[in-house]
Amino acid sequence: MNAYTKYFVKKAGWYLATLIVALMLNFLLPRLIEGNPVSTIASQVSQGMTDSDSIKRVYENFAREFGIDKPLIVQFGIYLKNLLTGDLGTSFGLYPRKVSDILGSAVPWTVGLQLPAILVGWILGNVLGAVAAYRKGVFDKVLFPVALFINSIPFFTLAIMMLYLFGITLKWFPISGGYDYQMVPNLSLEFIWSVIRHHTLPFLSIVLVTIGGQAIGMREMAIYELNSDYVLYSKLLGIRDSRVARYVFRNAMLPQITGLALSLGTMIGGSLICEIVFSYPGIGTWLFTAIRQLDYPLISGCTLLIAVTVLLANFTVEIIYGIVDPRIKAAQMEEG
Amino acid sequence: MRLKKASILFVCLVMIFSLLAACSKSSSPGSTQNTQTGSTSSSGGSSSDSGSSDSGGSSGGASGSGETPRNETLYINGLQWGAPTNFNLLSGNPAFPINYGNSRELVYETLFMINMLDGNLEPLLGTSYNWVDDLTLKIELHPEAKWNDGTPFTSEDVVYTYKLGQRYEINWTSYWDYIQDVVAEDAHTVTIKMKPDNPNRLVVLESIELIPMLPKHIWEAIEEKAGYDLAAIRREPNDNPVGTGPYKLYFYNDQKITLIRDDNYWGQVLFGKLPAPKYITHNIYKDNAAGDLAFKNGEVDVSQQFIPQVWKMWEDGAPIKTYLSEAPYYLPGSMPSIFFNTTVPGLDNPDVRRAIAMAIDYAKIAELAMSGYSAPMKPSLLLDTPAENKFIDQDAIKPLQWTTDVDAANKLLDSIGAERGKDGIRVLNGVRLGPYEIECPYGWSDWNAALEIVAQSAKAIGIEIRTKFPEAPVWTNDLQTGKFDIIMNTPAGNVTPANPWSRARTIMYSKGVAPIGEMAFWNWGRYKNERADEIIEKIPTVSDAEAKALYTELTQIWLKDVPSVPLMYRPWVFYTVNESVWKGFPVDGDGSNIPPQIAMDGAGVKALYQISSQ
Repeated sequence: MNAYTKYFVKKAGWYLATLIVALMLNFLLPRLIEGNPVSTIASQVSQGMTDSDSIKRVYENFAREFGIDKPLIVQFGIYLKNLLTGDLGTSFGLYPRKVSDILGSAVPWTVGLQLPAILVGWILGNVLGAVAAYRKGVFDKVLFPVALFINSIPFFTLAIMMLYLFGITLKWFPISGGYDYQMVPNLSLEFIWSVIRHHTLPFLSIVLVTIGGQAIGMREMAIYELNSDYVLYSKLLGIRDSRVARYVFRNAMLPQITGLALSLGTMIGGSLICEIVFSYPGIGTWLFTAIRQLDYPLISGCTLLIAVTVLLANFTVEIIYGIVDPRIKAAQMEEG
Repeated sequence: MRLKKASILFVCLVMIFSLLAACSKSSSPGSTQNTQTGSTSSSGGSSSDSGSSDSGGSSGGASGSGETPRNETLYINGLQWGAPTNFNLLSGNPAFPINYGNSRELVYETLFMINMLDGNLEPLLGTSYNWVDDLTLKIELHPEAKWNDGTPFTSEDVVYTYKLGQRYEINWTSYWDYIQDVVAEDAHTVTIKMKPDNPNRLVVLESIELIPMLPKHIWEAIEEKAGYDLAAIRREPNDNPVGTGPYKLYFYNDQKITLIRDDNYWGQVLFGKLPAPKYITHNIYKDNAAGDLAFKNGEVDVSQQFIPQVWKMWEDGAPIKTYLSEAPYYLPGSMPSIFFNTTVPGLDNPDVRRAIAMAIDYAKIAELAMSGYSAPMKPSLLLDTPAENKFIDQDAIKPLQWTTDVDAANKLLDSIGAERGKDGIRVLNGVRLGPYEIECPYGWSDWNAALEIVAQSAKAIGIEIRTKFPEAPVWTNDLQTGKFDIIMNTPAGNVTPANPWSRARTIMYSKGVAPIGEMAFWNWGRYKNERADEIIEKIPTVSDAEAKALYTELTQIWLKDVPSVPLMYRPWVFYTVNESVWKGFPVDGDGSNIPPQIAMDGAGVKALYQISSQ
């Protein structure tokens, strides 16, 4: 076994272990919340009943149907077994809808919101940060505090402020949902326009925050690189400024790109607050609803999806680092 | 450098693909809509209708878009939140217009129609009912009645529907605690025989106006297909329901449900004509605000939503009406109340409970929480309506009724020796009165506001009460298992022949109530009074005149012991109409005696024959 295979196997093992722990927590944590998860549906079915025993039987029937009358360990076994066949279970709160259907309908919204927002925010943020570091002067003195300010406002505050200002006060944008409520989703221009209008405000809020964070990071990195020996040396050699700038930019980009890769991986779970504030129909809103209704299968489904994408993103980054960065490989070999 | 660039690109691509793989596993093209997280902003009311959820965007009916002419369509809102799930009455969460508990007469019909104005049962599928002896109710059926697939409606269908409740745990199962048998005497006569050891006329009368009749020939097949397993029967979507009613399901999607009139409706012989609207559409809105706006703009004709400050809607001349033209605008139908846990030290003392009742500012609750739609509070087990008033001697309970009087409440507490400590909170026999938690679900804004006022009011008499607003499932659990100090809930909210008896039973009956820690489904505070139990058992077996004396005595016990305190009156259904398209909706004093049951529930359905559009 060569060093790299060893590295790969070791990493894969660790990630598998993490996944198993995550699975257990996904399963266990929602069930630790007190409350009666079958009450939503059972109280509707038992409406009008006057006899304790029959009402109790309704609750027990649902508990049995949802499988929550068994000991936790047995439930976990069933959960794992179903998971292996791709069955995430049936939602309690939206009975009898399948959790996988709900997630399936939510993921495109979340990705559609996050992917463009992260990319745009990342590109703009890095360009601004690099320019600020390079140009210094007024531009930097304005940009840096502004970026710092935006970055340090808690995201939900920023989102609510934007919602209040642009949605409620100025009425420029709709305040909730993914499209006009009275519309039937179809491929008409009218519907697409409605989606775009609903998309804008949450999109901008994420872009703003991403710009702030990225600009600060990029600026720091660029300033560090600008002061490094090779820049001084290049300048002494008389290399043109634009060429030096390119070196600097490239080197400063490295950690930023890692950051981008990771934030793409975590985007499924990354927009919870944004979606909740704007009632955007993605994973975040569903997770919030599910927690409120004690909908165990839906909670577990959402968190599982989030956990898997985060782990997958990290794993991929690490594996590729192993290939491309000799330092990491060397370190691993020493350990091994 | 090159290599790194390439590898980074590769990372991004891998990431995107892994994501796409994750999505495409479950998402089919075109099923991307959903939204609707069921914002429970308003509250209480008809939770049976707030079905929730979201189907995969399926749509029924033949037409493509569901467009119907405005002047032939009656629009309604406030009965369905979230996309329709199914149209199966037995599923537990059927979508509009399938409903249990409100006698909705559009697709399925009940034998008789309840009129909330006078409490009378008016003929529909049944023409008459009478008690042939103490235990037997005989019902004559309308010989012309038929299902919308042309099959005649007969006594076999009635027997079948009742007996579904005997075979499965469904909404009308508990009628079988009192009913021994339902027999088809001939094709159009049915008798209901009560159990000799547990007869209850009130509950049996309730059953004939509440149970929607299901066609035997359809449901037998569904039962068989499901292997006689209730869980499997519940999964039947039934999106082409066969009923006896004047409407059929026409179209539905996540935004609306449209019904179309059955022009062969049998009831023409009963009502003399067909109902006026060719279509009835229920619009599904995201929240109250969206629905109110549409209603004000005339996009909705009948609204069953809570509309704050409804009078503002007609101030600028919009043709909008409520049943009563002045405050409280709506007829009372239920009393959301707080229940005391009678096992908690301090709250186990009836004088303490009474003092809290006397301290509460009911006028402020009515104004802040109910927008003034609640008449002045006259504490009683019975509603102050013609249908219930006949059961009580108002003069006999008057001396015991409390009113908001903080001074008297303080005096009462002083007289039992509850003295204020240094922090201003009273101590009774070594027990500090508070902090007590008072609980209702988060987001039920009118209830939340009411409880805040209770907490403030209690402070003025030296009792510390803190509000607690958990999510609904937690509240349900606390309510049933008795894990609360004070909790808010509505006891028996529907207008039926069984009220006020079933409300009294919900509040006071102690038999069959599990101890704290186990699930109880009424009398959540575990109140116990043997005389009260006795009276509650006796009322359903006696005549109305005797019942009056019993209700009066029971109310006196309730006023003395204060196991619960009603905080407000709430309408059974909110009935607000916009007459810009359809005119002639029934209102108070028009002489029609058509109740404000949103033009489709019980006797309220007669409104559909009275209205007209240009």
